[in-house]
Amino acid sequence: MKLKMFILFSVLSLLFAGCAREKHDISFNVGGAPAEISVWQEVVREFTDTTGIRVKINIQPTDSDLRRQGLVLPLAAKRAEPDVFLMDIAWIGQFAASGWLAPVEISDKARAAFFRGVIETADTYDNRLIGLPVYIDGGLLYYRKDIVKKPPDSWEELVRICVENGRQGENPCFVWQGAQYEGLVCNFLEFALANGGGIIIEGNRADINTAENREALRFMAGLIHKHKVSPPDTYTSMREEESRIAFEESGALFQRNWPYAWGIYSQEGSPVKGKTGIAPLPGFKGKKGASTLGGWHIGISAFSKNKEAALRLVEHITSYDVQKRFAIKMGWNPGREDVYDDKDVLEASPHFKQLKEVFVNASARPNVPYYTRLSSVLQKHLNAALMMKTGAEEALEAAEKEINAIIREYEK
Amino acid sequence: MRNKAAAFLSRPGVAPFLFLSPLIALIGCLILIPVTGAVVNSLFRDVTFLPQKFVFFGNYISLFSDSGFTRAAVFTLFFTIVSVFTEMGLGILLALLLNEKLPGRGFLRVAVLIPWAIPVAVSGRVWELIYNFNYGFANSFLLKTGLMNSPVNWLGTEAGAFLALVLADAWKTAPFVAIIVLAGLQTIPDELYEQASIDGAGIFQKFVYITLPVISPVIIVALLFRTIDALRVFDIIFVLTGGGPGGSTASLSMFAYERFLSGDFGGGSAVSVILFLMAMSLSLIYLKAAKLSEALK
Repeated sequence: MKLKMFILFSVLSLLFAGCAREKHDISFNVGGAPAEISVWQEVVREFTDTTGIRVKINIQPTDSDLRRQGLVLPLAAKRAEPDVFLMDIAWIGQFAASGWLAPVEISDKARAAFFRGVIETADTYDNRLIGLPVYIDGGLLYYRKDIVKKPPDSWEELVRICVENGRQGENPCFVWQGAQYEGLVCNFLEFALANGGGIIIEGNRADINTAENREALRFMAGLIHKHKVSPPDTYTSMREEESRIAFEESGALFQRNWPYAWGIYSQEGSPVKGKTGIAPLPGFKGKKGASTLGGWHIGISAFSKNKEAALRLVEHITSYDVQKRFAIKMGWNPGREDVYDDKDVLEASPHFKQLKEVFVNASARPNVPYYTRLSSVLQKHLNAALMMKTGAEEALEAAEKEINAIIREYEK
Repeated sequence: MRNKAAAFLSRPGVAPFLFLSPLIALIGCLILIPVTGAVVNSLFRDVTFLPQKFVFFGNYISLFSDSGFTRAAVFTLFFTIVSVFTEMGLGILLALLLNEKLPGRGFLRVAVLIPWAIPVAVSGRVWELIYNFNYGFANSFLLKTGLMNSPVNWLGTEAGAFLALVLADAWKTAPFVAIIVLAGLQTIPDELYEQASIDGAGIFQKFVYITLPVISPVIIVALLFRTIDALRVFDIIFVLTGGGPGGSTASLSMFAYERFLSGDFGGGSAVSVILFLMAMSLSLIYLKAAKLSEALK
């Protein structure tokens, strides 16, 4: 009896194993929420219908660290699968320098459709295009247009509006991302750029402890401790979702966040529906504001055995029609600049007009292979300055020293 | 032919070895090979974006000159000592309580295991909702009862974040210690305590001369498990503080994970090897201590 069961089980499992190994030409790693996955499946199905190229979708988790792990392992092992994958903009430096990305060979004319600043700073390595933006992100200022008539032109003005409205201390006025994680680096970069500073890496040396950056960091800490317009837990719990909720629930007048919050605020039932406006982030007095570039890019594995088919999938996903559908159906911000002028897109989401302006001027984080370590050093020192454990100068000096040590460690 | 085989099998050491060989093979595959692999890897510069080369102890040298690493090592050790000490104390107390003939003891014994059964990522979120500055339970409770006038940012100071982590970890793992110790307690026959009572021993004497000697091997086992687990603490920190504030709660496992994600497999392996050596030396100390106490008896 037991033997029979055993045989039956073996035969069945062999049968199922046979089914699972359906033939495919290329594989595509993509992650996200179930609704996002079904859109990807639809897009890929169309691609197969028109080209005959069979694509296997490997569904990845939503969490971006886990998605990265799922790519680093097969790529470091030089596996032929996946052929095509999505990557966060912050990983591209590492992936490209590791030789994991095949060139994306498209014509100059096709190239011109994308945001020039984005593909030049993020998708170009050794003068070759190694990725294309699928959807992009940039920091925005959300404001309560029912209370604040005109968005502030400068950070100083933002603080003044908060004080005038009596929103200090117990009533937070301005929420942003200050917890110790990647988002803090994005926020810092925006304040630094808005003051004429930035995270500069040149000739194997980091230039971070500058007067402009110190001033910007001091201002960030001051928002919490001096002006008291940002809540005390800014440096412990404020990430994207916490800020998004705080803006909805606490009556805050301003928020720095990515464009995704707009979709949620536009939904029925949101307490700030119809009361929210978006604007580019302000600069410091007399200077221009800046926005950190985020988003997801598509790349082709250098180990792919079918790069031609992979390129066609990339072209399909970044095509005008598909990107337009992403924009209208999912509210994603296309990597193609030309879609932002589309009549249907603007009708569905009029705010795309402002977004385009922000994305054209957005700045990338340093595109270096050791970015993950650089960022983690910055996160910890910036966070220490926000908690007032260290001064801005001490924090930036320590960060610069540690980052220079990392650069030396990885020198060839 | 048959006789020869039988003779071979009856040789001393052959049969036991054969019986154990599947297990030895399994341990070899699952533990020995990966550990050796990590040690070998840690001697190379194995960074995805650089050519590979043998650097001997280079990875270790750069680790020890990295202030982030030494800070993570100190934090990990300190966290291990404080959290394991707390968990052992709470666990033993819980076990003694559950060993008494209380009403509803069966229910309590199951209920006490609930924290242990919840995945850390989930219990971490729950604790986050307790510590949260705006809508956390701790602040709203203390404000409503009038014990405090203004909310406290529990995770906002280094000491606060550290204690918050220890508390969350102890809540989750003290039940584990309790169940192991409880199993040890149940091997003590009631007659022993009765006899001691007749001889005039008090509660404290009974605990020191009967309970403690019997459960000490079990305590060593629980201590061993908890120490090794606490040394590689990762998930509760990842969820609760993310290593903050100001990088004060980054553990060695988080440090290794970050190296791995950034494509530095050599450096990551070196951190893992150091963690392995820490765990092994602490385990050896425990086992030595256990042997010593055995010999003293």
